[in-house]
Amino acid sequence: MSLRKSIPDFRLLENSMNTTTCDAGHRSELNDRTAPPSMRSRPTYSSLSPDTAGAEHLLVIEADALQPGQASALSKSFTSVAEALRTVVSGSELPLPGANVQPDLAATLLAVKARLSGATMQQRVYAIGSEPFIWSIHTAAIDAGLDEKQIRLCHSGSLKRRVWCTHCHETTENVTTNIVACTGCGRRLLVRDHFSRRLGAFMGVQIDAEVPGDVPAIEEVFP
Amino acid sequence: MITGDQLQLRVAAIRDISPTLRLVRFENAGDGPLPPSATGAHLQVVLQGAQKEIRNAYSLISKPGSRDAYEIIVRRVPESRGGSAYIHEQLKTGDLLTTSWPGNLFAPQRSARKHIMVAGGIGITPFLSYVADFAGKGIDYELHLCCREEEKDSFAPWLPEPDKVFVHWDADGHRLDIPALLLRQPANSHLYVCGPDFLTNDVLEAAETGGWPDNHVHCERFGNALSGGEAFRAVLQRSGKEIEVGEHESLLEAIEREGVEVPCLCRGGACGVCLTSVLDGEPEHRDHYLGKAERAGGKHIMPCVSRAKSGLLVLDL
Repeated sequence: MSLRKSIPDFRLLENSMNTTTCDAGHRSELNDRTAPPSMRSRPTYSSLSPDTAGAEHLLVIEADALQPGQASALSKSFTSVAEALRTVVSGSELPLPGANVQPDLAATLLAVKARLSGATMQQRVYAIGSEPFIWSIHTAAIDAGLDEKQIRLCHSGSLKRRVWCTHCHETTENVTTNIVACTGCGRRLLVRDHFSRRLGAFMGVQIDAEVPGDVPAIEEVFP
Repeated sequence: MITGDQLQLRVAAIRDISPTLRLVRFENAGDGPLPPSATGAHLQVVLQGAQKEIRNAYSLISKPGSRDAYEIIVRRVPESRGGSAYIHEQLKTGDLLTTSWPGNLFAPQRSARKHIMVAGGIGITPFLSYVADFAGKGIDYELHLCCREEEKDSFAPWLPEPDKVFVHWDADGHRLDIPALLLRQPANSHLYVCGPDFLTNDVLEAAETGGWPDNHVHCERFGNALSGGEAFRAVLQRSGKEIEVGEHESLLEAIEREGVEVPCLCRGGACGVCLTSVLDGEPEHRDHYLGKAERAGGKHIMPCVSRAKSGLLVLDL
């Protein structure tokens, strides 16, 4: 009987591979990498400013992620493109006249998709908020055909992460701890800095694969 | 016969499609099918000019992937270095020619939602293979041809979807408004331009000011007009040769004339294959390959198009 036939479930295959791994240094290596000095996939951000080469501008704001005064500062920095600027605010009202206010991320994404249907090469998209928020906007913009160069992101507010499970491929939202139980498969995942732009998520890898149940202290590290 | 990096082809047919446009069809001089060519590919053809051997790159207009024949269209240019004159005056059916394998520096971007092609005159040739590829597949494209009015129908036989082709010429109501064209294109469009430098530069500039990300803009330039200039001398250090580069030949041609081999592909300053180290002297960069810092550094040159500012170049060849 072939190996493939004897293992009908990919999850089982993953599991058996993990539990039979004989790499003693594996665990400590993963632990050492929770905060590597240079994880190349880890995005870096700078403050938002309009790209004046564009002709249509869409600014998407996660209201709760802003510091006091940040909304008016944003408004000021986008003055030069004000006539071609549309603003969508997610969560709650901000002192931004003319902004399209949406109650949550799902409604915000619908508004963004509607705004970007029929987008041209002159369209520009800006998003500010937590990383799960801004990368959701990024995904919507890419789906609408925009190029990376037409999108600017700025991280503000909570450090919470979206975590993608390398075992079951489900995502777990709003993760603030170094280790989290996957909402898909229940495995306890070490939240790495390894980031996927496509998924807008950080990689989560089973923490106790070698020694089941051997899970270090869970701490809030992404408040 | 297909040997090494060269092909031996036989001229199977020659047809004039206008007073200055000649179509040449090549077939394998030996047995078997030709190597497949991709959309946007070109062929480097070795031609016997009046004084010297000339190598010109021509876009393949035959349907991409076809292996029975390669077809090119060559314009007779008054300031010909000899290549187009040879093809128009001397080449005849049955002649054998040496060519490169097909190369491709101008492939379409398959992920594009829409392809916008802008051609200046004979610069339409790479796009004839694009439309041969795209036609009937439901691929969204626009081909804009800028040419002389009398040539507006010359390429019609190669344009299977005429509703996607727009011809422009220099008369009121017929000129191409490049900025307006670039303003109305959907996200994830890709823009391609092939033509004389003034058109290419206009389109690139309009794309930049029109907010197109540069990775959505692609051009293929004519190499011919780029390579001439003041004569200068070049020392090929490793070969121990000193050569004279004439006004009407490129540095690469002069090097080849002396029997020194330089790997090359596009012969138009685009591909970077002929990159050569400069040991002394100041290059006059005309390529589209080296970056600003590399140009300023003066340590490298693309001999297919670039020349010397200093009257003498010492090369690591």
